Amino acid sequence: MTTTATASPIGGEHLDGEGVDGRRAAPGSAPRRRRPLRSRISGTTVAGFPTWAFVLFFFIVPLALVLWYSFGYKPDLFSAHANDKLSFDRYAEALDATFLGTFLNTLRIGLLGTAICLVIAVPFAYWLAVKLRPQYRALALALVLVPFWTNFLVRTLGWQIVLSPQGFLSDALQGLGIIHGNLDVLYTQAAVQLGVVYNYLPLMILPLYVAMDRAGQPLREASADLGANRVRTFLQVTLPLAAPGIASGCLLVFIPLMGDYVTASVLGGAQGNMVGQLVASQFNTAQNWALGSAMAVLLMLFIAAAVVVVGGATLIIRFLVRRSRRVDLTKGAAA
Amino acid sequence: MTTQTATEAMAAVRTRESGDRPRVRRRRDGVHIGLTVWGILVFAFLFLPILVMLVYSFNTGRLLATWQGFGLDAYVNAWANPVIRSSVVTSLEAALGAAVLSTILGTLGGLALARSKARTSWVLWATLLLTITLFTPEIVDAVSMLPWFVSLGTDFGIGVFSNGLVRLVVAHAVLSVAVVTFIVRARMQGMDEALEEAAADLYAPPLKRFWQITLPVASPAIWAGALMSFTLSLDNTIVSSFVQVPGSTPWPVYIFSSLRVGLRPEIAAVSAVMFVLTLIALAVVAFVLRRSGASTEEMAKTLASA
Repeated sequence: MTTTATASPIGGEHLDGEGVDGRRAAPGSAPRRRRPLRSRISGTTVAGFPTWAFVLFFFIVPLALVLWYSFGYKPDLFSAHANDKLSFDRYAEALDATFLGTFLNTLRIGLLGTAICLVIAVPFAYWLAVKLRPQYRALALALVLVPFWTNFLVRTLGWQIVLSPQGFLSDALQGLGIIHGNLDVLYTQAAVQLGVVYNYLPLMILPLYVAMDRAGQPLREASADLGANRVRTFLQVTLPLAAPGIASGCLLVFIPLMGDYVTASVLGGAQGNMVGQLVASQFNTAQNWALGSAMAVLLMLFIAAAVVVVGGATLIIRFLVRRSRRVDLTKGAAA
Repeated sequence: MTTQTATEAMAAVRTRESGDRPRVRRRRDGVHIGLTVWGILVFAFLFLPILVMLVYSFNTGRLLATWQGFGLDAYVNAWANPVIRSSVVTSLEAALGAAVLSTILGTLGGLALARSKARTSWVLWATLLLTITLFTPEIVDAVSMLPWFVSLGTDFGIGVFSNGLVRLVVAHAVLSVAVVTFIVRARMQGMDEALEEAAADLYAPPLKRFWQITLPVASPAIWAGALMSFTLSLDNTIVSSFVQVPGSTPWPVYIFSSLRVGLRPEIAAVSAVMFVLTLIALAVVAFVLRRSGASTEEMAKTLASA
């Protein structure tokens, strides 16, 4: 890589010329000869080098370091880690009842939160992409972005005021006779659930909107022309076409949510123990980097596993549903 | 994945603008009304806590959540409090630095990705690398960066990494470089390379080509990316609370640490000011993007798909 960087100005010009030739050739024509390395690396390719180097040096190396620490141990009260003896002991230590219990709790909040976001966002994104008049659409999108761009800690504090037992909502609900006594939501699991749904909702709405928009009017009209009613059009045209958006929305909500502990500590108090908090306290208070690293690695593995399991289950269900209602058009054509 | 959505969004806008399909009849029935009501409710939900914070910034009470009376005390007190002022300044400095750093790196990365053959192995590796940074939980970023900065600063003796501001800038740039890269890549993939080729045919040297053709074409995406990384940095709490050095506490970390001692209305006042500043920044970027010819919707989507 370093040699290519020094050779860049000449190499760059050279390939840009070749690139033009390459494009003028008919697309998908004769098998391409493998050109020598220097001509395959263009100026623009080399331009990305600082970026990859930066990410490698400040992201991958630290991650690798955490992995390395996780095999070490905490030697004494005053050092954070030592790696002269390597073992899996920290993982065994990390997988105790507290960690697993907190992880399961976090997982429940994460899965439920993602599901609630999805339920809120699907009709909303549909409304935004299909029902809303086009001239209002840009404004509506901007309005979705504004909360997203307000400091998320501040938004969460806003909920703390709303939910506080002596707050205006509590007074209003009591005045209406809906609840008796003060509102008792703050510092419960329900408040945490509400907070995470609120904080991550825009991350679900935006990809869903883009995906539903892509599903496009012509296809919906075609579906209507072919006699499908609106529910059927939605279920069999719009929703399947929005599936990639749904998947990316779910990932964008679920993964940061699993690592988040700020929302939970603002709205959940002592009840809001998320697994991120455990990892953080190993580094901040306990000063046990080895154990904290093992927890961080486990957290990443568990999140990946949860994504794989849920994603796999969704794919299987989708496959089964499709199979059960497919009209087989290929039968004749395949012959 | 994010870039795909951005490209597709732009393509979608283009087809809609060029298409001359007859407008479909919009039915105003139960479903339509129900969806509209739902949309308005969701907006109310999204804005409720923000409005509450804005209102409570005028609270004259000693504690944020207990309303006492209307007044500007909180703003005056916040302005007079040196700790609050220095934390806000730290936040703004870090956000500016992170925005500059990640915009430069992200622009280079985005151009490199857009202008090379999609199936080359290094492109796949680079994309994978950036995607991983996007999908790593923040707490993992935080606990991995802290020891690394400590090692760089003390073990390797690179003193600059013991500087709180440098740490914040670098850490925030790591978190947002992928976003900028993907926005720029989406923009450049949607653009015809013929412009650059024409410039090359007219004997423009590579650097001139870059400054006079590539950069202006990419500029809407670059601005959008800069804005994204600026706000992501202002927003960041978890990583900041780990990598910060005493004396350079950014604003969100200040709020987070004052949770334990009780929240005062000053926090709402500063937040209100920053909210207005964010809106101004958004408006400025929208203005710049509009001048460069992007439609409002395309713009919102460029920002949205990040």
